[in-house]
Amino acid sequence: MTESGEPGPQPQPPRKISAWRAGQGFWTVAVGVPAVFSVMRLWIEAGGELQTTLLLVANVGPVNLLAALFTTATRLVTTGLVAVFALGAVLAVSTGDWTRRRPLFARWYIMAPPWFLAGLFTIALATWQIIYLPLLVVASVAVFQRELTLLDWPRWRWTATVAAALAGYGWLVAPTVLQAWRTGELFAVALLVVPPVLALCVSGPLPRLLVRPAAALAQPGIAVVLLVAAVPVVMIPVLPMTVTTVATAAGVPEEVRGHVISTDDVNTVILQERGGVRFIDNDDIQARVLCPTAEELVRYRLWVRDFHVEDSLLGALGRRVRPMAPVSAVCRIPT
Amino acid sequence: MTDTAVRPRLRSLLTATAVTLTMLLAGAAACEPENTAPKTVDDLFKKTDVYGQPKIKIGVAEDQPLMGQIVNGRFEGFDIEIARYLAESLGFKGDSRIEWVPLQTEDRENALVSGQVNLVVASYSMTPDREKEIDFAGPYFATKQELLIRSSDRDKIRNLNDLAQPGRETCVVGGSTGERQFTDRALKVYPAATNRECLDRLLSGKSHAYSTDETILAGYLSEHPKDLFIVDVPIGANERLGVGVSKQDPELRDLVAFFLRKSYDNGRTTGTSPWLAAYRRTLGPWLGDDTTQPPIEAPDLVDYDEKAQKP
Repeated sequence: MTESGEPGPQPQPPRKISAWRAGQGFWTVAVGVPAVFSVMRLWIEAGGELQTTLLLVANVGPVNLLAALFTTATRLVTTGLVAVFALGAVLAVSTGDWTRRRPLFARWYIMAPPWFLAGLFTIALATWQIIYLPLLVVASVAVFQRELTLLDWPRWRWTATVAAALAGYGWLVAPTVLQAWRTGELFAVALLVVPPVLALCVSGPLPRLLVRPAAALAQPGIAVVLLVAAVPVVMIPVLPMTVTTVATAAGVPEEVRGHVISTDDVNTVILQERGGVRFIDNDDIQARVLCPTAEELVRYRLWVRDFHVEDSLLGALGRRVRPMAPVSAVCRIPT
Repeated sequence: MTDTAVRPRLRSLLTATAVTLTMLLAGAAACEPENTAPKTVDDLFKKTDVYGQPKIKIGVAEDQPLMGQIVNGRFEGFDIEIARYLAESLGFKGDSRIEWVPLQTEDRENALVSGQVNLVVASYSMTPDREKEIDFAGPYFATKQELLIRSSDRDKIRNLNDLAQPGRETCVVGGSTGERQFTDRALKVYPAATNRECLDRLLSGKSHAYSTDETILAGYLSEHPKDLFIVDVPIGANERLGVGVSKQDPELRDLVAFFLRKSYDNGRTTGTSPWLAAYRRTLGPWLGDDTTQPPIEAPDLVDYDEKAQKP
C-alpha cells in the first residue's frame, strides 16, 4: 500500500474485463486439475489394481468425488491460486511500465475479476490452518494493494489503521506466541510473528534488476512447489476410513479396516487398507466405526483463543458445535 | 541524492525482502520435518508387547467383591471396570478381546515377570519392594487400611487398643502390606492365605477383626451389610493402588499411565470419566461419593482427540 495515499510509483494497468479469452489457460487449469486429480486419486486409492479402480469408478459418483476432493484439496488449490495471484500482483506492479508482454502470472492477476479474488481469499481464510493465516495476510496485502491505494487515505489514517490492526493481532496471538516460545516451537513463533511485519513491506514494485529473474523463476517455482504439495493430497483417500467388525465361525470377531465402497441388500464391499477388496455378507456385520488416519494427528500443541492452530476456522467452528471427538478403540487394531 | 529518489528504491528493496522472506517461510512450512512432531499414542502402542495380539491378558482378583469377582460367569468390580477401560483404550474392546487371568495375591509379580499376563489390575499396592521387580502405572486409587468387625461387636471394638485385649485376634492376608501394621504393634494376628478365609473366620467368630484395604472390606460389607461393620480407624499410611506392568514393557506402562491420566483430566474438567463411572457403579454406594481419582504422572502424548481438548 502507499502509505501517503499518493498514487503508486508505476502507472496502474486497468483491469481488462474483456480479457477472458486471455485467461483460457487459467480456466483450463482451474477446472482440469481437479478432474485429473480425481482420477489419479481413485487410481492410487485402488492400490494400482485395474479391476479395483474400475470398481471404484463404478461406485463413486462424480458429485461425491468432487465433494470429497473439495474437502481435502481446497487447501492445496487455494494455496496455489493465492501464491500465483500474490506473485502476479507483485510482478504486475513491477512491470507497470513494460511495453512488451508481461509475465504470465501478472497477466492472470490483471484479468482476474475482484469478486474472484475476494472469493478465493475468503475460501482460503475459512479452510487454511490457523497457523498459516498470517501468511495469507501478506498475500492479501500484495494482491489487494491496488484496491488499497484507491482508498486514497491520508498518512495519519493509514498509520492509525495499521497500528490498530497490529494491536488487535497482538492481543489475539500473544498467549499463543508465549506458549510456543516456552515450549521451544520457534518455527511456530516465526509463523505467527514475522508475516504481519512482512505485510507492511510487501506492497510496491520489486527492484528493476530482480523483476526478470523473479518472473522467470516464479512459474517453474510455483509448479514445483505445487507438485510436491500435491503428492500427499493425491494420497489422501476419497472414502472414509472405517473398521468393520465381522462375525466369524470361530467365535472371535474379525476387524476389517478399510473404506466402504458400496452396500447393497446382500453385501458390503470394503476396500481394505492393506489392499484388496472384501465382499462381506451383511448378516455377518456386527458393528462399524469411523476411524481417523495418522495424517490427522497434530504437529503443534498450540491454541489461538481456544482454536487449535492446525484447525481451519471452519473446522474450529465445527468443533464448537460438536466438541467431542471420541476415537473408537478398534481403530487402534493393526491391519 | 534527493529524498524522492531514495524512497522508491528503499521501498522496492523492502518489497523484495518481504517477498523473499514470505516465500522462504511458506517453503519451510511446506517442508517441515516430521521428526520434530511430538510422540503419539500410536507410536508407543506399536512398541508394546500387546500390539498385534488377538487378546490382552489381564491379571485380576476373583474373590474380591466390588473390586474383582466372578458373578454369573462374568468378571465384575471396580478393578475390572478400570481394566476394561484400559483394554478398550488400547484397542481391545469387549470381553472377547480380554483374557482374564485370576491371580492370588502372592502370584501377581511372578505372573508379570513370566509374561503370563500383560497387566495386573487387582488391588495392587504400589510398594518400593514390588517396584524392584515390576513397574507400576498409577496410582488409580488411594485406599486406607481399615478394620472389619461383626456388627454385634460395634460397642466392644472401636479402635486398635480394643484389639490388644487378651484373646482377641485379627485376621490378615499373609504377605499383604497390612500384616506388618499389626505385628509392629504386637497385636495378635492370624495370617490367612486368602481374603475369603479371613472373612469366614470373622463370620464364624474365630477372629474378632479382619483388616485390609477399605476397598476389599467394602466388598464384603456389601455381601453382609447386616452382619458386618467397618471401623473407621487410621491404620498406617494410605495405600496407593496401581496397575502392574512388566519392566520389559515400559511403553505399555506409559500408555496405561497416559489413559489413567486422561480419565483423571476428564473427571476434573467435565465431571464424568471412566473412573468416576466405575466408582459410582461399584465402590461408591459403600465408600461414599466424596472419593476422587488421585492425580497421576503420565507422559505427554498426542492422540487423535488432541484438537478437541481445550488448553
